[in-house]
Amino acid sequence: MPKSKFLPRGRKDRTAVLVDIRPTKSAKACDIFLQVRPGKDFELITILRALIKDQKVSEEAVAETGVSLEQCNDLVDRMKKAKFGCMFFGMGLSMTRGKHMNSAALLTLATEMNAFTKFVAMPMRGHGNVTGADVVMRWQTGYPFGITFNRGYPRYNPGEFSTVDVLVRGDTDAAFIIGADPGATMPQPAIDHLARIPTIVLDPHITHTSKLSRVHITTSVAGISAPGTAYRMDEIPLPLKPALKSPYPTDEEVVRRIKDAIAKKRFWMPEGEQMITAQI
Amino acid sequence: MTLTVVNNATCTFCGCVCDDIELHADEIKIHKAKKACVLGTAWFLNHTAERKYPDALIDGKEATLDEAIEAAATYLHEADMPLVYGMSNTTCEAQRECVALADLLGGLLDSHTSL
Repeated sequence: MPKSKFLPRGRKDRTAVLVDIRPTKSAKACDIFLQVRPGKDFELITILRALIKDQKVSEEAVAETGVSLEQCNDLVDRMKKAKFGCMFFGMGLSMTRGKHMNSAALLTLATEMNAFTKFVAMPMRGHGNVTGADVVMRWQTGYPFGITFNRGYPRYNPGEFSTVDVLVRGDTDAAFIIGADPGATMPQPAIDHLARIPTIVLDPHITHTSKLSRVHITTSVAGISAPGTAYRMDEIPLPLKPALKSPYPTDEEVVRRIKDAIAKKRFWMPEGEQMITAQI
Repeated sequence: MTLTVVNNATCTFCGCVCDDIELHADEIKIHKAKKACVLGTAWFLNHTAERKYPDALIDGKEATLDEAIEAAATYLHEADMPLVYGMSNTTCEAQRECVALADLLGGLLDSHTSL
């Protein structure tokens, strides 16, 4: 870990705390491990939010989370003493009981910590350019994900417009999948619905989703045979330097051609025309 | 055989997006990925420039790119509530086109973030 002006001893000047439902390999690499009871993330975060403001918390409420009051107080103390704190969170938080409300609670905790010291929160990313998708959607629509254009302007509501929920409820009647393999990762009812509706897949490989799709288009691999830009997890855009030439078209080209083909058809809204037909 | 060297290449396997990889490649595949981690090395070395798959598939049968694009456009245009999803293993330029596509369709737009 790098040494710096403010942290001359590198790793020794830093404190890493892991919160998980079981001791994983990461626990050994961290200074403190807190074992939270499954599904009690929201409760633990809310207790921490109370403790940083010196509010009273009942012993029973703390005991329910699986973490002791001493551990919580120690953590709050360390957080307040830190010069710069960062919370990393992943799918363990957003895909368990409480879902996006857990993430919202953690983001609020990070916000409230700024009354004492500098604190930020950052989602952990599994795949290459998920951060880029957030950034591009924020730039174009004002929202990071879970968006609908069904009134002609963007609206945002995770839980209502997020993919898993939309598929499990069976709301959507066509799906366009790019750079993802929901057929391998999503819950079975969502996969079943994808197989029922016309699904279109753009991928460099024949994936699980391709096998249940109506249309599969093979594209080149971003960063290996397709140029472009990708965002690092901390929102730094980096240029891609492809080393190979692919016989397949890029995602960008195929999406643009599909979009152009749709633009030639009748616009979906009964009144009015689409105002922007091309990206500037 | 001489290999072309790409300095400071960017790895898009995971969210870290390392940008100091040294790639040694010929026309078909990458032979060496210096400074890449285990995951990054596997990512770079497992992709080739070969034509492994058909250009496109419609209902599991081989089709041309033009046919597939027309079929995709028809399916999406006919839908009342189309969904545009994914966008993680692709470039920002393609993501921008996806936003425009969802906008044009009046559909849903979502990424891996919602998982």
